[in-house]
Amino acid sequence: MKRCFLGIDIGSVSSNFVAVDESLNVIDKIYLRTQGQPINVIKKGLSLIKNSLVDYKVSGVATTGSGRELASLVVGADTVKNEITAHAVAALKCCPDVRTVLEIGGQDSKIIILKDKIVYDFAMNTVCAAGTGSFLDRQAARLGIPIEEFGSYAVKSKNPVRIAGRCAVFAESDMIHKQQTGQCLEDIICGLCQALVRNYLNNIAKGKTLEEPIIFQGGVAANIGIVAAFEKELNAKLIVPEHYDVMGALGAAIISKGQYEKKGYTSFAGFDIINYSYSTKSFQCENCPNCCEVIELCSEGEVSARWGDRCGMHSQVRKKIDQAI
Amino acid sequence: MSIKLGLPRALLYYEYMPLWKTFFESLGAQIVVSQKTNKSMFDQGAKYCVNEACLPLKIFHAHAASLREKADFIFIPRLRSIKRYEYICPKFTGLPDMIRSSIPDLPPIIDTEINLHKDKSKLMDAFFEAGSFFTADRGEIKSAYQKAVAEHKRYLAQMQKGSLVNDILERKETPQNGDLKIGVMGHMYNLYDEYANISVMKKLLQEKVKITTPEMISQEIIDKKAEQMPKKLFWSFARKLMGAAIYFTEKKNVDGVIYLMSFGCGIDSFIAELCERRLRKSGIPFCLLVLDEHSGQAGVNTRIEAFLDMLRWRRDDESYFSPYGKYLCLGKDPV
Repeated sequence: MKRCFLGIDIGSVSSNFVAVDESLNVIDKIYLRTQGQPINVIKKGLSLIKNSLVDYKVSGVATTGSGRELASLVVGADTVKNEITAHAVAALKCCPDVRTVLEIGGQDSKIIILKDKIVYDFAMNTVCAAGTGSFLDRQAARLGIPIEEFGSYAVKSKNPVRIAGRCAVFAESDMIHKQQTGQCLEDIICGLCQALVRNYLNNIAKGKTLEEPIIFQGGVAANIGIVAAFEKELNAKLIVPEHYDVMGALGAAIISKGQYEKKGYTSFAGFDIINYSYSTKSFQCENCPNCCEVIELCSEGEVSARWGDRCGMHSQVRKKIDQAI
Repeated sequence: MSIKLGLPRALLYYEYMPLWKTFFESLGAQIVVSQKTNKSMFDQGAKYCVNEACLPLKIFHAHAASLREKADFIFIPRLRSIKRYEYICPKFTGLPDMIRSSIPDLPPIIDTEINLHKDKSKLMDAFFEAGSFFTADRGEIKSAYQKAVAEHKRYLAQMQKGSLVNDILERKETPQNGDLKIGVMGHMYNLYDEYANISVMKKLLQEKVKITTPEMISQEIIDKKAEQMPKKLFWSFARKLMGAAIYFTEKKNVDGVIYLMSFGCGIDSFIAELCERRLRKSGIPFCLLVLDEHSGQAGVNTRIEAFLDMLRWRRDDESYFSPYGKYLCLGKDPV
């Protein structure tokens, strides 16, 4: 049987699954909405990707994204990697000469500067989530437009309106004002795209030189309005890679291959976990005044892991289980 | 019965704890320090603070409120200036008034003013005033002051040997090994309050990083380096941070710098930017973490993990050039 490697990216808005073969070609990719239910989405993603992996043996799994710790417990991941590294690895695979990676995801937006094929610098949005996917999602829903068509409205605009880009709350009230004064929808949407790009470049890319080739990835790269606004602002052509929406998962899959080559085995729990019943519950620990919110993961009714405590009193459960194995 | 004096474990506690403790204990006071910041204390006390204030100030309110029935006096000095021609954050000047007016049923506050802006000799007067709550004997105050200053000097010397403040106060050893050396910058009350910084220091130590902080650099070096700025920095803490940043750029003795900034801090807002520019120019990677009331660790962890990955990746791969001058990728994955 041929070997394959799985990358799982559990993000705040979407969860992605990518399987690659030994030459790092993508066998299959799955893009799902997380909808705040990471465990269900992991099960669903695995059951979907399983069908295209009948001829393959899973030899490595890596998880990334903000839900990476939880996902790694459920699937038995070999590696848990942060999103920045995963995205950089995937971008290097698609375009080995890449110098700049723009990534806009559900709640995070990041910029990665590469030099000589290594990450040289990066930045992420700090306290502000304006300009990320979830804000666009919300605005699309408010305007009653499917998010998939958002970009095509923007490129139809002839006279984009000026919308405040500093803050999502201000942008929204600005948009409502412009709607009330009767500006047409296309112009408002185009104005919003430009505002978000301005916000991104001023906040995240602040002080950095964006050299070509520039790759644009993450779910928002599907939005041709944002792509156009970036190209206009940067006066450069953006590369949107084929698997732009699952780059984090692709990077994780590539990393898991590297890990397999080092380790020689995988701790993947197998596709059977689709049929296991998992549940999480959280409780407030009353043992000390820290009042940590402890989260407990149960599989088949038995506690398999706890985390979220500062002192380690509860998370030791996991260590005991690891030792037993 | 000795008088119980409450010290809130917040803000300048980390700078002056041994000094204050030694001084008041020599005068026969019993020192009551508030607990380490924790969630229930924060929830109960921060509500007294105005909403726009920075997180460290809210934390201070929580500490002061937690001392309510535990002490006979609370010591909250009114700090205007701790060095000639320098100032500190104006919130410290108003701190005793802020606490007195916003938290009900507090024991009396000892709010000795310390203002060395014009005249250094005012310092002794301040100690006489604070000491007068415990004794009328000026000689006794003077000897307590001398003991306290000696203790403070010992404290500073321990920091400069490379110990983290919390380890000194808890009499623990700071781990000195690690494959990366990272300069962690920021106000001391952000660096050493685990609640405020969502355990950043703990995380770095777990990741086998050797931490170096501005406190570990001697005052003379800081002063000398800070003078390189085109204009005098008149905020004491800004000066310290800037001096440290310039020291790092010249010595190149850190692999990277992490700056912990409080959201809404006036000093941090421009010093972080100035430090970033200087450090980047000299090729030292920089990572800014903004601290506010969020308790979710995921965001901070992602940034730290990515930053350390990048540093290790750069260290291991950056210098591999072929003799033909073209970069050769060794195909190493950053795992």
